[in-house]
Amino acid sequence: MGESNENIQFSWGKKRAKGGAKMDTQFYGSFTFDNVKYSLYDCVYLFKNGESEPYIGKIVKIWQQNEAKKVKILWFFTPDEIRNFLRGPVAENEIFLASGDGTGLADINPLESIAGKCTVVCISKDERNRQPTPKEQTVADYIFYRFFDVGNCTLSEQVPEKIAGLEVNVLLNPKDEQVICYPDQDVQGMDQKVGAGLVAPLPQSAVKMDEIPVAPLPQSAAKMEDEIPVAAVPLSQSVAISLPPSVKEVDKAQVAAVPLPLAVEEDVPKPTQKVFKRTESTQKVLSDKMPSKKLKLSQDLTTKNMPSKKLKLSQDLTTQSMAPVPDVKVRSVPSAQQTTRQADRSKWFKPQPWHGKLAQADKEGRLVYIQNLDIRFGASEIVELIREALQLSCTAKPINHPTYDDPNNGKAYVVFNSRNIADEAVMKINSGLVVGGRPLYCSKGLLKVPKPASGALVGHLTISNQKMNPRQREEQKKAVSTSHCSQPNTIEYDLALDWMLVREKQAMKFSILHKRHAGERKSFAAKMEK
Amino acid sequence: MATSDEQAHEDRQDIKDEQLAHKDDEQAEKEYADFEARVRRTIYIDHLSPLVTAQVIKASLAQCANVVSTEFIQNYTIQYEIPAAALVEVDNVSQAQAAVDLMNNFPFMLGGMPRPVRAVFAKPDMFPDRPRKPGLKVEFSWVKQGDPGYDGMNKLKGLARRQEAENMALIKNQLEEEKELAAQQQETLEASNSKYDMLEKLITDGDITKLAQHYKVKLGDD
Repeated sequence: MGESNENIQFSWGKKRAKGGAKMDTQFYGSFTFDNVKYSLYDCVYLFKNGESEPYIGKIVKIWQQNEAKKVKILWFFTPDEIRNFLRGPVAENEIFLASGDGTGLADINPLESIAGKCTVVCISKDERNRQPTPKEQTVADYIFYRFFDVGNCTLSEQVPEKIAGLEVNVLLNPKDEQVICYPDQDVQGMDQKVGAGLVAPLPQSAVKMDEIPVAPLPQSAAKMEDEIPVAAVPLSQSVAISLPPSVKEVDKAQVAAVPLPLAVEEDVPKPTQKVFKRTESTQKVLSDKMPSKKLKLSQDLTTKNMPSKKLKLSQDLTTQSMAPVPDVKVRSVPSAQQTTRQADRSKWFKPQPWHGKLAQADKEGRLVYIQNLDIRFGASEIVELIREALQLSCTAKPINHPTYDDPNNGKAYVVFNSRNIADEAVMKINSGLVVGGRPLYCSKGLLKVPKPASGALVGHLTISNQKMNPRQREEQKKAVSTSHCSQPNTIEYDLALDWMLVREKQAMKFSILHKRHAGERKSFAAKMEK
Repeated sequence: MATSDEQAHEDRQDIKDEQLAHKDDEQAEKEYADFEARVRRTIYIDHLSPLVTAQVIKASLAQCANVVSTEFIQNYTIQYEIPAAALVEVDNVSQAQAAVDLMNNFPFMLGGMPRPVRAVFAKPDMFPDRPRKPGLKVEFSWVKQGDPGYDGMNKLKGLARRQEAENMALIKNQLEEEKELAAQQQETLEASNSKYDMLEKLITDGDITKLAQHYKVKLGDD
């Protein structure tokens, strides 16, 4: 999966004021990151690890304090996120700008968590908003005209005076029409390695589709919209359409694969891509005569019947904005940084139960078993460790069993985004990652554990060939769900005492062994110091 | 570009932003403090039957504690069949103490007999979903081939592996011991049971009086 190494291009742009409580903060108006220029009030994508959809936000502040580069992001909400508060019709690519005060309005994130730019155009009829040209509107990735107040959880079309302390003017459409370069640009080198290799490489030469009237197609925007087909589209059906540089690249682990036909003006190596569709977004097929059932393109004709499109992004997506960058490069998700967002999305998404996640990940070869961690490390510490040491994003879970496992040796399962990344991580960690004096070691795959026992516990005795009438049998069945403290005048009391004795001895043995282990480690470490 | 007014305003905003960033830290501390409070009123029950459900636990502890939540521990690492275990959160520390005491002083049987369960106070590292511990430094370094200390690290890895193996062996040993004890108890139980059955049969059939006559023993209740 592309770049998971340390050196992503970065340079500061325009300087602004200096400030901060200790005057150690430098504010900026723009910066270039991974060869994409970002300015204040640009709209960007940020990825949160574990989520398939990116967050969309507007940069409202950029600064560096000591070594850390930070951006303050004012959030947009997708219709999904505010489903419960939505009223009225919602356009396919409509989003909502956060307003008001409270959690979920804006967050400070490390600059490196930005995944790419996008275009968001405001179509509000408010006088402060420069009305967008039809062209702008149709090529934009998203549009908005409504605001979601995070304090009252209300939706409104009314443009507030200020948001996050800023005059609303700067948050609406920029005064100059955005320089949007069209089709002569091409969608570029997807730097990705498509691990699953599902999609066939695209032909270099465009094939014209007769059914689609290409003529009125202004060399402008066409967007791709696809279903989740399982097979690749027969290439003979690919369409010659000049596409804007917005192309989305998708997680290999996902199923569908649709080759993206690209414009041909330049000899661009065609990447293979898989695109996903948001489950709710409706699709509008461009022309019914499209032979391929699987590939649906919506094209932007200047005529009104252009449906709006929405592209589904998945975990390893990056997008390119429509804006000027001719040399568009797509960068894989910055594994280095995590996005924080305080909005409570947990209401909308059910967390996938860990067990299922693990099995799935193991099947795909993304599961790594790490040992010799500090037992105190929880999931977030491990994720942080992997992020800082390997610049990779992952999810983790400590798995020590409190009764039996040696507390000197902390174990955890870590799930990466792809098989290749997981392999890479294993190699790197085994090559010599030492955490707090503990050399870690790891391997791939789930440990073999017996299926959770479904029978009675060893030690729970049953009396066979007991003559009981049906009622007694019923009661005895129910007896599994009862409990009691045994009294000294029963047989079971004596038996129970036997067990307690065994248990105490056990506990003692474990404690002695674990202490001894701890001692061994200490003395070893001491010896090594010399 | 900014007027002095704007600048002042921006400064205030910036200070607010810094505070926002600090708030994250504060929040992390608070979260961890909450977590620790939860740990204090949670008990860890093991040697638990796999047949026992959260309901059963709740009902069984009702005499001394009100159970708020039960989380069963998943076995990911032990390749043998082990008893179940659960983290049981109750209302407050004193209830937790009461439950632990109860189960230590009397053999508490849950869902079967005679093997009793064991309860101890929970510890933070028992919770797989514990939050970030503020202040715990995640420090790492690379000691690769060719670096000084590489051999030492490798030996340490070997030591860790050996210790793991020792631990597993002990676990296996314990589990076998338990099986033996269970088998032995089962035998004794069945033997006692058949003895009692036989006695009962004798009495109900009246054979006992015949036996008494034969051995010229006086039966107590004559």
